[in-house]
Amino acid sequence: MSLKPMPEMTEISKPFWQGLNEGEIRIQQCNACDGWVFYPRRHCTHCLAHDLEWKPVSGKGTLYSYTLTRIPTLPEFADEMPQALAVVELEQGVRVNTTLVGLAEDEIKVGMALKPVLDQVDAKGNTLLRFTAADKALDSLPYVNPLDSLPRNDKGQVQVGVDNPVALQALVSDEYTDWSNSIVVDQELINTFAELSGDNYWIHTDPERAAKDSPFGTTIAHGSLVQVLQSRLNFALPFEITGFQTMVNYGSDRLRFPSPVPAGSEIQARARVKSVQQSRKGTALTLEVNIHVVGNDRPSVINDLVILYR
Amino acid sequence: MGLRGDAAIVGAAQYKPEKYATAPQMFHLEQVADLAAQALEDAGLKASDLDGLVINGPQFHEASVFVPAMAAEYLGIELNFAEVVDLGGCTPVGMVWRAAAAIEMGLCQAVLCVIPMRLAPFGPSEDPAWMARAMRFGGHSTAFGAPEAEFDLPYGHMGQNTGYAMIAQRYAAQYGYDQAAMAKICVDQRTNAQANPDAMFFGKPLTVEEVLGSKMVADPLHVLEIVMPVAGGAAVIVTSRELAAKTKHRPAFVKGFGERLSFKSPSYANDMTVTPVAAAAKRAFEMAGVKPQDMDAAQIYDCYTITVLLSLEDAGFCPKGEGMRFIKENDLTFKGNFPLNTHGGQLSFGQAGSAGGFSQVIEAYTQIAGRADARQLKRCDQVFVSGTGGVMSEQGALILQGG
Repeated sequence: MSLKPMPEMTEISKPFWQGLNEGEIRIQQCNACDGWVFYPRRHCTHCLAHDLEWKPVSGKGTLYSYTLTRIPTLPEFADEMPQALAVVELEQGVRVNTTLVGLAEDEIKVGMALKPVLDQVDAKGNTLLRFTAADKALDSLPYVNPLDSLPRNDKGQVQVGVDNPVALQALVSDEYTDWSNSIVVDQELINTFAELSGDNYWIHTDPERAAKDSPFGTTIAHGSLVQVLQSRLNFALPFEITGFQTMVNYGSDRLRFPSPVPAGSEIQARARVKSVQQSRKGTALTLEVNIHVVGNDRPSVINDLVILYR
Repeated sequence: MGLRGDAAIVGAAQYKPEKYATAPQMFHLEQVADLAAQALEDAGLKASDLDGLVINGPQFHEASVFVPAMAAEYLGIELNFAEVVDLGGCTPVGMVWRAAAAIEMGLCQAVLCVIPMRLAPFGPSEDPAWMARAMRFGGHSTAFGAPEAEFDLPYGHMGQNTGYAMIAQRYAAQYGYDQAAMAKICVDQRTNAQANPDAMFFGKPLTVEEVLGSKMVADPLHVLEIVMPVAGGAAVIVTSRELAAKTKHRPAFVKGFGERLSFKSPSYANDMTVTPVAAAAKRAFEMAGVKPQDMDAAQIYDCYTITVLLSLEDAGFCPKGEGMRFIKENDLTFKGNFPLNTHGGQLSFGQAGSAGGFSQVIEAYTQIAGRADARQLKRCDQVFVSGTGGVMSEQGALILQGG
């Protein structure tokens, strides 16, 4: 399961989507011929003049046509069944593809008077333009975070069932956790790892030669050492996955060592959920773990860890 | 203005529709060569007669650019006329008139019009799931900047079913709606398919009750009012009058055509219930100097029942708003007074992607040539053919006449 498709605004359409996010419906009118245009363009579809102006409108209109789907048009829309797909003709004469909300099936009639419903669909404030009957009290649908209604454990983490795809998707975020505790990667630790792994290349283990020949001016930790030190860095995930039989480390989708960790550096880590995908194999949660030298914006390790729940 | 009527369909080849899972997999180039050989053999022509090629560009497996050059090289022929047509289900109709026009202009003498629609074999590094992913959004573009990606997909508007359903709902509000009449389109066409061993639903008759009892997909369309996608592919050979005289069977001359593109999404149609075939058919009939009532059969593109209803009205076979009555009052079978989609239509024959429309073109040719066996019409000199692409987005019409 992945998320419903979201609009990707362009330079041309930005005023429309930004308007919705700010609670205003804007469409374009031609300064040359007064014709109204939807969807957004740079030119007028009536006279081709490149002279359109954004105008706030009421969003009132009538139902031009509709259908109720009995099979979702994509699996992601299963929560809307039946989808009330609609074509709405605004007062200005332009048509908009949309959906109807807050109506029983038998209340929907071609030609009925409609008014807009601003539906905030994510935490960032992205808003879609839906419609309902003109006489309904509904004007907007606030964003409901599917995590809000879930229980929390004694650490304060929200408990997300592995069988709750909507909540699992809500874990995906651009925001990282708070920083973990920090630890020092000293030469003794590096030497121990060199002995254990057999990787005793001088750039890690010979401080005298490194001072002379290494571009870093000192020895640096093995990338794979810093990677496994993740186990000593406790970042607090805001959630706990529940309801699975087994949890396995499925490996890594991406492992990079973008900047060195000089001997004696202090390191810390943070993470975010990059994606959640469900397949026949189970539920794969990809956790992007970043390990940094304290004070360095550039990570020393980027590890997209895949954790598989079944 | 228009065609003189000096170019004709003289031969055809069409793969028997099959389920994707069990159909043979062939490279599209190989299918082109196979269909070309079959169609030339059917016509009684040689490879050296061919000097024109009209082929599909979209969904051609081995190339997305330089498709005609690659196909010509693969066939081993040189061309005086090469064309790619990108009109969805209207592509076959669009191919035939383009071939006829090129021949009448003297550019070439024999044109292969071909659409391969069997699956190509999967490469060792190819993920067989690609097709499921490619089909996920139907005909909807997901490219950044595509208006439908930005303004349709987020609301769940996609694919073909819901667009056609909304057209049907609008029609119902304006003119009324009789589900049993719509079902009769499927049933009469299914009767025709019982006389066509190549049809997907040969040996499987159908009743109005079964259509109305089938699963609702998007109100008011039932699953049995929607075509079944199949693997297939087809080709026709269009030649000059001189070359047609040397072929084996009675040729079907292209006397008139029309084409009209109005929109991509029917939401933006001036009037959703007036379809582009209105303008296309008017031009085709005028060009040929004939009228709808002169036709011995109508082979009307039938991705959905609503497509047939609106095409019958807008092409002028009955007045606007009276299509349901027309369907109920007439026998649409090959034995009836208004033979419609005598091969079973795509609803009973199967729809091989954009080659599906070839089933209508080829049936018109086959009836005119007197080669329709058990379903042969007693008299068949003039046939109307329509093609439809997208969601009534682009439509074309042909008038074919026996030589």
